[in-house]
Amino acid sequence: MHPELAFAIEVLIAGLLSGVMYSLVALGFVLIFKASGIFNFAQGAMVLFAALTFVRILEMGVNFWLAIAVALAVMIVLAVVIERVMLRPLIAQPVIILFMATIGLNYFLEGFAQAVWDADVHGLDLGIPDVPWMSLLDSTNILISLFDVWSAVICGVLVLVLAFFFQKGRIGRALRAVADDNQAAMSVGIPLQQIWAIVWAAAGLVALVAGALWGQRLGVQFSISLVALKALPVLILGGFNSIAGAILGGLIIGATEKLAEVYLGPIIGGGIESWSAYFIAMLFLIFRPQGLFGEKIIERV
Amino acid sequence: MSERQFGDAVLSFDNVSISFGAVAALTGISFDIYEHEIVAIIGPNGAGKTTALNVINGVYQPTDGTITYKGEARTRMRPYQAAAQGIARTFQNVALFKGMNTLDNIMTGRNLKMKSNLFLQGLYWGPAQREEIEHRKAVEKIIDFLEIESVRKTVVGRLPFGLQKRVELGRALAAEPEILLLDEPMAGMNLEEKEDMCRFVLDVNDELGTTIVLIEHDMSVVMDISDRVIVLDYGRKISEGTPEVVRADQNVIDAYLGVTH
Amino acid sequence: MTDRNQSVADTFPKLLRERVRTGGDRPAMREKRYGIWQTWTWKDYEGVIRRFAHGLSDLGFKRGDKLTIIGDNRPRLYAAMASAQCLGGIPVPAYQDSVAGEIQYLVEHSEAHFIVAEDQEQVDKALEIREQCPFVQAIIYDNPRGLRDYDPELVLSFEALEERGRQLAERDPGFLDQAIDEGSGADTAVILYTSGTTGTPKGVVLSHENLLVTSRNAAEFDRITPDTNSLAYLPMAWVGDNIFSFSEAFVAGFCVNCPESGATVMQDMREIGPDFYFGPPRIFENLLTMVMIRMEDAGWIKRKLFHYFMGVARRAGGRILDHQSVSLWDRLLYGVGELLIFGPLKNTLGMSRIRVAYTAGEAIGPELFDFYRSLGINLKQLYGQTEAAVFVTMQLDGEVRSETVGTAFTDVELKIAENSEVLYRSPGVFQEYYKNPEATAETKTPDGWVKTGDAGYVDEEGHLRIIDRAKDVGKMNDGSMFAPKYIENKLKFYQYIKEAVTFGDQKDYASAFINIDLDAVSNWAERNNITYGGYQEIASHDKVRGLIEDCIAKVNEDLAADSHLRSSQIQRFIILHKELDADDGELTRTRKVRRRIIAEKYGTLIDALYSDQQHVEVESQVTFEDGSTGSLHADLKIYDLPGLKPMHESLAAAS
Repeated sequence: MHPELAFAIEVLIAGLLSGVMYSLVALGFVLIFKASGIFNFAQGAMVLFAALTFVRILEMGVNFWLAIAVALAVMIVLAVVIERVMLRPLIAQPVIILFMATIGLNYFLEGFAQAVWDADVHGLDLGIPDVPWMSLLDSTNILISLFDVWSAVICGVLVLVLAFFFQKGRIGRALRAVADDNQAAMSVGIPLQQIWAIVWAAAGLVALVAGALWGQRLGVQFSISLVALKALPVLILGGFNSIAGAILGGLIIGATEKLAEVYLGPIIGGGIESWSAYFIAMLFLIFRPQGLFGEKIIERV
Repeated sequence: MSERQFGDAVLSFDNVSISFGAVAALTGISFDIYEHEIVAIIGPNGAGKTTALNVINGVYQPTDGTITYKGEARTRMRPYQAAAQGIARTFQNVALFKGMNTLDNIMTGRNLKMKSNLFLQGLYWGPAQREEIEHRKAVEKIIDFLEIESVRKTVVGRLPFGLQKRVELGRALAAEPEILLLDEPMAGMNLEEKEDMCRFVLDVNDELGTTIVLIEHDMSVVMDISDRVIVLDYGRKISEGTPEVVRADQNVIDAYLGVTH
Repeated sequence: MTDRNQSVADTFPKLLRERVRTGGDRPAMREKRYGIWQTWTWKDYEGVIRRFAHGLSDLGFKRGDKLTIIGDNRPRLYAAMASAQCLGGIPVPAYQDSVAGEIQYLVEHSEAHFIVAEDQEQVDKALEIREQCPFVQAIIYDNPRGLRDYDPELVLSFEALEERGRQLAERDPGFLDQAIDEGSGADTAVILYTSGTTGTPKGVVLSHENLLVTSRNAAEFDRITPDTNSLAYLPMAWVGDNIFSFSEAFVAGFCVNCPESGATVMQDMREIGPDFYFGPPRIFENLLTMVMIRMEDAGWIKRKLFHYFMGVARRAGGRILDHQSVSLWDRLLYGVGELLIFGPLKNTLGMSRIRVAYTAGEAIGPELFDFYRSLGINLKQLYGQTEAAVFVTMQLDGEVRSETVGTAFTDVELKIAENSEVLYRSPGVFQEYYKNPEATAETKTPDGWVKTGDAGYVDEEGHLRIIDRAKDVGKMNDGSMFAPKYIENKLKFYQYIKEAVTFGDQKDYASAFINIDLDAVSNWAERNNITYGGYQEIASHDKVRGLIEDCIAKVNEDLAADSHLRSSQIQRFIILHKELDADDGELTRTRKVRRRIIAEKYGTLIDALYSDQQHVEVESQVTFEDGSTGSLHADLKIYDLPGLKPMHESLAAAS
């Protein structure tokens, strides 16, 4: 293959692979937003909390899978506690109050995580080697990290499972009902609290996976909570309440970010990867504020 | 038509009062609702009709008095508990899930009939799917009953108001309630839609045996379909009886003409 | 075995036995119930028909009795029709939206002692006429909803009657087959009441042979196989539904699909994807409107694509369908269009699988007709009547035109009468109008020709072209046909002409009164800086005359191209000084021209048109908006169409 073309494809694939991860984080936001209309400010802190919990349990010499199970259990308990302690008393309060509550939750979780565990940088090895995919490199001259491929596969599967779970069948319907009108949902006997706990638990799962994958790359440390910021442009692109939008938005942001860095970066002066996604998001805000798939408000005629 | 048969009292208000701060919304209300009957609660604006409905399905708790439902005096009750015990309702301004289609809206009404735990539903796909099919069958019967086949897959936010009211009735029916509370089921409807709705209400009562308590402003509808009428004014019950009796009651006439007491 | 099985079945009940013998497990009927399509095989269908027939017999239904059927297209209602035929009885379907009074007429006139009604709504109508029709013995319903408290002696459920039938069949197993064997092709199969625009409805009596022969011919003509699926959504009382959803289905053994309700037809059609479809132009028009509205609402990319590829389709689609030559590039573009636009669109319309679709009943607009054909849907026209068991002419594949209705159908003879009226003779020709020998004699000649009431001609290619109602068509002095309404409609197609009245019957040439459309003309005047004082002034303006002249010239061009209407080209015209008005009695309230009154009122103007006068004075009475009357005086110019071939030349060309 022509080296220029191979390079372009390489950049594109790398972008898409990291995009899958963005999708996953964005999905955590979307689920909670759909179920309660809340923008969960604490999603980043949950990533930190989950990753830290997981890595510390591992460091205690616990088996890898068991550590995952325990960390997941902790996240589920956390979700139930959040629902009981924070959400339930605030039922029927304006959304802005709930949003403020998640800001509080964010600081609490950050502090709590570092108090219970510690504030050091912890190395994390998931057993996936961060080396080039040799057979692909040999045959096509495209250089892709095996770790990127694996993490994309894991995220992709999780995204699809969650999307299916919350789109189809009874839970999907209940979730959409709650999202639509939670007073009416209660009157037909949909247990609002249960739905919220499930959604927060799913967000916890997302946080755990994202935290672990990023943890291997960057080391588990405070800055990992900033991962959540990457999801913001994705949400603006895809719409806050669209699962499909989160998936597609993640891919678009991932790909354009990398492509822009490589092809536009040198012209403008480099280092645009960190802000190009926000630039795209801004364009969207101007031209299509409801996002790619965001629901337009339907007016009755 | 043959003489209508009613059962025992299924719901009783005994001296029920409720006030919001200094404002008394209901004062010392007592009445019985019998199985299989259609009861209309009427009264001028602000008479406390919707409050009475809200007390029945647990939105408000009475400040005084007792409510007996199916032989048991009831203390605090939340709306979803009321729903679980067979009380379904519709709302004055329609409280459907506007972004969901007709089928899904009515399916949510089956929620309480679904046995398995919500979370397990997601994991055990096989049995959950079978259960889903069972419920879908029940919902299809309701869709057929209410003649809304043509909007089965239409997002309800796009439906005209009259049809939305019908879908909402469908969602309430999906719970197979013993008591159905209808808050102004004919409001905002044209004549034809009203006639249809009357027919559906009568059919529900007749074929499913559901007890119906409704609030309605259209007097011709009330007089046509109700077995009994309860009249409220300023939070008090001023009359009760068959449509003929109520129509002739001087208290009622005064209340509607705005005579002050 | 007996010769019963070897000979061709001559009644529907006999044909049903053949269907069950040769393909009893094939689907015969499908109906959507509770959101799911439920299928009856021919065996199931026969089972229902036989049980119901036994049940009817148990009620006292005898040979020659009539059974009124009212309701939407439901399998059981079709079955009821066949059941009556098994017993030698006659089904009389009624339009489901008829009011009680109309049903009373039909029940009284046909003396139907039994009624099958779909649901409570129809049962209520049947009960409403009970006082006037005390001879009605039973009302049988399909849908039990709301009917629990009705008198069980009079109002029975379909199931209850089937149950009675089952018991009778056990007691007397040979009874029904014997009844079926007694039937013959000459027996009446159905009486269909035609609504008709004037007078009381007439009951068209069609025999088994009428329906079977034409249905066999039609099935052969369109090569209809048992795998065909059709959608039964048009009224059962209409002859088209009787042929397409009952007779042809029996003959070809295909499956008829009944929609869930009237409101779900579109969705049901999409799910079924019929390959054989019939609809009046109105339905095709509604569908097109729906498509256009959706396209206007669609995103700009989709809209652009749609308009671009519809352009390709208009260029190439019809030609591809007719196997004519199309450039490779267009063929390629059309393929892309099929993938992006036509395919999805046909799917939305439920027309992806259509092999042949027909439209009839009234003229279909050429744009409308071409739209569907350009999408690759084989939409064709047929010309038919209840009195012909539908088929008079049909369009052959490759010979489809929008302005003609095709060539004479199998076994149909066609002739055009002296007054241009279309006449036909065929095996499908009805027996008589029930209990109405005068009407029968008026319509059907002793040697079997039926007058259609339509005026038309057969063109060079042998295609029938319908111009107008025969009673509205006159004759010019050279012997050619003069169809005023046809020409007037052509004139009114132009926005500047609001109303037109043409003359030519028993004249040497054609002429016209024109009413300008004030809105359109004043708009045009504004754009062209023409000032004017009032209606009279603008109407007599010389530039306006040019405007109108252009319109008439275009109409003349069309007429000149038509060998039969060449003489009808308009030679002279007058632009009227006032609008023709219903208040002045010149139009009907539905804005139809009242020729006789206009001829009386404006006699001087007409005379002037057929003289060498160049202007004429007129005094006319008008009714003002406040109801008072006054008179209007005007001096009107008479215009000659310039450049028109002199009369004798066009005459020579015509002969």
